[in-house]
Amino acid sequence: MTSAMIANNPLFNWLLGYETKRKKLLKRVPDGALKDFLSVPFPDLKTPIQQIPILSVDFETTGLDAKQDKLLSVGFVEIDHQQIKLNSCYHQIIKTKAQLEESNVIIHHITDEQKDRGEKLRIVVEALLKALTGKVMLVHFARIEKQFLQQACFELYGVIPPFPMIDTLVLAKRKLDKRDVAYDPSELRLSSLRHKYKLPEHHAHNALNDAIATAELYLAQTSKQRKKQQITLKDILL
Amino acid sequence: MSTMDTELSEISAFIQSIPPFDSLPKQVLAQLVRELTINYVRKNELLPPQGINEPRLYILRKGAISCLSNDSELIARLGEGDLCTAFCNKDIAQQDGISQVKTDEDSLVYSVSIDVLSDIGEKFPSISDFFSNDSAQRLKTKMSKVNEEAIMASTLMNTSVSNFYQSPVATIDCNKTIQQAAIQMTEQGYSCLVVVDGTNPVGIVTDKDIRRRCVAQGLATNQPISQIMTVDMCTIDIKNNAYDALMTMTAKHIHHLPVTKYGNLAGMVSVTDLINNEGHNAINLSSIIHKANSLNELKQISDLLPKLQIRLAKLGSSADHVGKSISAITMAFTKRLIEMAENKFGQAPVPYAWLAAGSQARQEQLAHSDQDNAIIICDSMKPYDDAWFENLANFVCDGLAECGFIYCPGDIMATNPKWRQPRKVWQKYFTDWVETPSPKALLNSSVFFDLDTIYGDKALLEDVRDKMLNSTKQSTLFIAHLSKNALGLRPPLGFFRDFVLRPNGKHKATLDLKHNGIAPVVDLARIYALAEGISAVNTIERIQQAAGTRSLTKASAENLIDAYEFLGMLRVEHQAKKLMRGEAPDNFLSPKEISKLEREHLKDAFKVIKTLQDARQSNF
Repeated sequence: MTSAMIANNPLFNWLLGYETKRKKLLKRVPDGALKDFLSVPFPDLKTPIQQIPILSVDFETTGLDAKQDKLLSVGFVEIDHQQIKLNSCYHQIIKTKAQLEESNVIIHHITDEQKDRGEKLRIVVEALLKALTGKVMLVHFARIEKQFLQQACFELYGVIPPFPMIDTLVLAKRKLDKRDVAYDPSELRLSSLRHKYKLPEHHAHNALNDAIATAELYLAQTSKQRKKQQITLKDILL
Repeated sequence: MSTMDTELSEISAFIQSIPPFDSLPKQVLAQLVRELTINYVRKNELLPPQGINEPRLYILRKGAISCLSNDSELIARLGEGDLCTAFCNKDIAQQDGISQVKTDEDSLVYSVSIDVLSDIGEKFPSISDFFSNDSAQRLKTKMSKVNEEAIMASTLMNTSVSNFYQSPVATIDCNKTIQQAAIQMTEQGYSCLVVVDGTNPVGIVTDKDIRRRCVAQGLATNQPISQIMTVDMCTIDIKNNAYDALMTMTAKHIHHLPVTKYGNLAGMVSVTDLINNEGHNAINLSSIIHKANSLNELKQISDLLPKLQIRLAKLGSSADHVGKSISAITMAFTKRLIEMAENKFGQAPVPYAWLAAGSQARQEQLAHSDQDNAIIICDSMKPYDDAWFENLANFVCDGLAECGFIYCPGDIMATNPKWRQPRKVWQKYFTDWVETPSPKALLNSSVFFDLDTIYGDKALLEDVRDKMLNSTKQSTLFIAHLSKNALGLRPPLGFFRDFVLRPNGKHKATLDLKHNGIAPVVDLARIYALAEGISAVNTIERIQQAAGTRSLTKASAENLIDAYEFLGMLRVEHQAKKLMRGEAPDNFLSPKEISKLEREHLKDAFKVIKTLQDARQSNF
């Protein structure tokens, strides 16, 4: 196995530190959006929770399989010093060739017509990489965003960059697991968790609304822990 | 293409539901929303959130927040959709006396920097006006808008001239004599004729022209009418509304206006026709009351009172107008009952006057309130004369009760011998109240400082009142006691969620408009009047006359009138709604009944009242 093969194998991603992975890749990629993204260090694992620069991200997709299904839209918003900054918010529908299936349209409300007026995948991914630079990515249920973003990067750049992530679902799950009481997996849904924290109802399945909803949930989850000892990025990283 | 507008639609809709942002165009609202920051603040933490020092406006999205003074006294409590202006600038927090803002629940808080707000405020004055935080100014803007709307909504504006004109119009040939015109006017009951040449109108003649241009000038009455007619006749087309007609007549100083249809004479409208309509029901009712011959007839008429109140409220009449109309009708009932009593028991043995106390005297009565009355009798009365007055009192008070004016629960009625006394006894009552005041006695007697003569010899009351005002002006102790009582009724702090927030921090489901809003203003006005020797009893008149004295600045007087009129308006509207549903009118307003903006205005009114109450308190 060559080092390139190891680096590109998702299985080994978590074995290497994000920073090590970032530095290695930085040497190999050509100038451009990906290199710009990789040239800024990720936040230190010892960063106190209040100071972690975060980008809350959500994708809408045509399905669950990153290899077959397509990325439909991207929404994100920044959390800076535990404050959600709406002036950083971004939402973009992506132009794909795939025909949208009706069962799917019901969920994300993106029509073929809207999609055809969308932006190219490369432009959207570059906007996302630019916003993610030097930040930790926040998602609810990381698998979708992680796999689709990795797949997109692989298609566009031929490599899979590291993305340090915080997952609000996992934060909630860890807490429930600690209590050692049986729970229904539906309790881990974004809307259920928001309800639990008495956050307002939100309009689900729009990438930006979900990114904001996830960000609010994250603030609620992490504010609850503030009274204990200083929590750092290491404690909450996926 | 960005689809941002729809993406933040939830947050936009939330912000748009909050005054003053409801007035912003969609695009500007979207700009504002993009400038928001979202914070999550745990229960029992302080605002602003850690690390924010610059001035910002906070908007509570979820949760609850308390604003406290230096000594931890509750000043306001905020719920979802409420704005916290305490950190907009230092002046505001100081003005409101807020020194600490703390969350009572885990809270999701939006905020926007003041720079962004001022940028928007430059283009949209409704925003900057709102955050100028001058509650008095905001209330003034609101009330001037209300008054404009009242004019716009008035019947005259919305009714065509055709609803008022009299047709066919009375005409006279231009060759007829002045005397013939006078005879025609007398016979047909017109005060105005259109002069025609064939069918062609050539001028107009009124009874005033006959007086001024003929009799006063010594002109022979056998001269042709054309000698004294007005030639350049002003007319109005039938398509115009009644308000235009009234304005034309006011501008030209004329009382009659011929109405034309397709250029032809169609009828005549007079100032009296128009003005009668405005107060139509009130004036009509009074004259029907005057003609009533039995208690039974009066009873039937009294059933119309709630309807009149609804109609007045629907017309957009001010609370002042409604109060005066209803009070005038109560007065008509009372007068008619006294006349009936005099018919039954014979003439009074000595001169006397029937007095109204409280809201009727102040001309602030609403349909079917309690009766508060008294009798003042000439000092020449003999002890046995009282029997006649007792009969009168029983007859009138029972009659009023039959007509729906319930007996005064505090027994402040002429039937109570204590309040049916000769002038000198009344004089002594007032001397005692003023010179040796006790808070408790004053609490029960304050209603007697609002007295008006309904029937009989006005001089009796005037004499007592003059002497009373002379002594109240000089008695600081009396004014102090009166103030102490009055300040017992404090307006609420504001609203929390759908509840009324009281000064003790407790919640109430409804606002008592009378005791926690209107009465405190009435009390303040009474204090000003008594301290300054003002004889008026109507609250607005008292405040107007006290304006510019040492008791009350002109600016404060205007603010207080705005607050009073706004509260009165809400009360009239609330009661009209209840009456229309066939329910008994009351003074308990649920915050759910009113809009967010009205709640803001109410808070402003409370602030104005509280400020003047505090000023009164610090006087002693």
